[in-house]
Amino acid sequence: MDIAVLVKASLDVNLVRGDAEGRLLKEAIPLAISEYDRNAVYEAVRLRDALGGKVYILSVLTWGPTQRRMRDFENVVREALALGGDEAHVVVDEAAVEAGPKATAYILSKLVDKLGGVGLVLCGEASMDMMASQVSNYLASYLGYNSVTFVRELSIEGGKVRCKRDLENYIEMVETELPAVISVTGEINKPRLPTLLQIRRAFAKPLKTYSLSDIGVSELPKQTPTKYELVKVSRKNIIIEGASMEEIASKLVDKLIEEGVLRR
Amino acid sequence: MKALAIGFKPSDLGEALAVLNRLAEALGEELEANALIISKEPFKHGGFHKIYHVKTASLYNSIGSIYKVMDDLTVDTVVSPNIKDGVDLLGRVATKIDGFMVTEVSSIEKIDGDVYLARPILGGRATAYYRYTPGTLFTYTVGKFQPIDEAGEPDVIEVTTEPGSYTVVGVEEKKRGAVDIESAEVVVGVGRGFRSKDDIKMASELAELLGGEVGCSRPIAADFGWLDEDRWIGISGKKIRPKLYIPIGISGAPQHIMAANDSKVIVAVNKDKNAPIFNYSDYGVVADLYQFLPVFIKVLRERLVK
Repeated sequence: MDIAVLVKASLDVNLVRGDAEGRLLKEAIPLAISEYDRNAVYEAVRLRDALGGKVYILSVLTWGPTQRRMRDFENVVREALALGGDEAHVVVDEAAVEAGPKATAYILSKLVDKLGGVGLVLCGEASMDMMASQVSNYLASYLGYNSVTFVRELSIEGGKVRCKRDLENYIEMVETELPAVISVTGEINKPRLPTLLQIRRAFAKPLKTYSLSDIGVSELPKQTPTKYELVKVSRKNIIIEGASMEEIASKLVDKLIEEGVLRR
Repeated sequence: MKALAIGFKPSDLGEALAVLNRLAEALGEELEANALIISKEPFKHGGFHKIYHVKTASLYNSIGSIYKVMDDLTVDTVVSPNIKDGVDLLGRVATKIDGFMVTEVSSIEKIDGDVYLARPILGGRATAYYRYTPGTLFTYTVGKFQPIDEAGEPDVIEVTTEPGSYTVVGVEEKKRGAVDIESAEVVVGVGRGFRSKDDIKMASELAELLGGEVGCSRPIAADFGWLDEDRWIGISGKKIRPKLYIPIGISGAPQHIMAANDSKVIVAVNKDKNAPIFNYSDYGVVADLYQFLPVFIKVLRERLVK
């Protein structure tokens, strides 16, 4: 059974940049693989090793300008290949930049069609940068596949997939038929860092890049934010220093009393 | 404006009504609010025109029925609390009606005559604004809109349960203690700086002294299992908003920070002066927790008891 894994080159949330006027400098923020997508790749590799088939890494570059992002983007895709993906199929097109989850899912559905369909699509429960958790449901709907979200454990048997959904207060076990799109949580497995050999091998694996017209997409259901604003960090950022632990502790208690957060 | 609010528990409806009133007011339109309740028992709330009830605790038992309600009702928008099942459900409805969705809306703003849905992105470091148009569905952040209580007894329409192409095989309660760190006034956070499960006693002692609860970062609950998952602070865990949050030995992954950033005062203790947590803290102590905590507890005890 072939498995497609959706991988996002996310804005690195640890390296958010803005200017003094509170503008978000999106273009200055580097790209990194979205954390839960690594779990999705790892899970796909586990299933492939048990059931056979191929693991396709699928990605759409959604942060521009695409020209300047290509190196970061390729690094993200190669990382997914180093984690065990067999080949990568990616879409790079200025029209796909910030087009929103619905448009991204539409593009991915055309990419899956191009591959002749798959038995299973895996993705992370949300991307680190936008956290919308929407692509999987849209994609399943475009493909006519079943959709199960927030899955922390899954098993496949006889054309069916059994999933443990991780909800706020309980775990729900759900069964559905393949083909399906499944979003996984960070708890589903613990991806190991790729070895040097795996990283080197990843560079020899096929990586095919498409434009929107290559996969027959002419119009996109776009939903782009009208504006972005940097959130002003209103924390005081005061480091309490002192000659001894006693002095530091005492100064800290003074501050907490001043803030009115201690019951005296 | 005709709207549908999704409710999983009674308190959802008052909050949804607040969200919908705010939206209608911003748009300058009359509101007709309807509700769809997914819950074992029905509940009533004034201010709604019709209330549909699917008698099940499980979203995946009711997906077919929800599509039926959507066929029965033409609405401009559907809103739900931003919990996992709400996000999943709205995603499905959005595909069904060929609409758009915005996840985790924390405010509704009117700017130059247009209405915008604002939501946190980039781990809470930025806000994205989406223009609202009819056909845009959204989940709203729980706790950001003041619930509206309205008298009235709308009719409840029972909807037959239809799971569609899913079978719910079973439901398990999560292992939990009797804690609710989401409403605690003081939270002490335990991170990987703690070397053993036994050492967490120090954090518990501090929490008890401050009248608070112990929370933790992801590895402590999910990887080591030193604390139950209902103490895990993170976007996949619990979101906290105490008066005082003290993360100890927590480096400050974006998912953790996003779930703790509504705390009034944050005091971080970490031996790595470059730990990101200090950027999100009001006060920081750069020290080995094993040296600092016992002294801090001793000093606090002396000063609090006086």
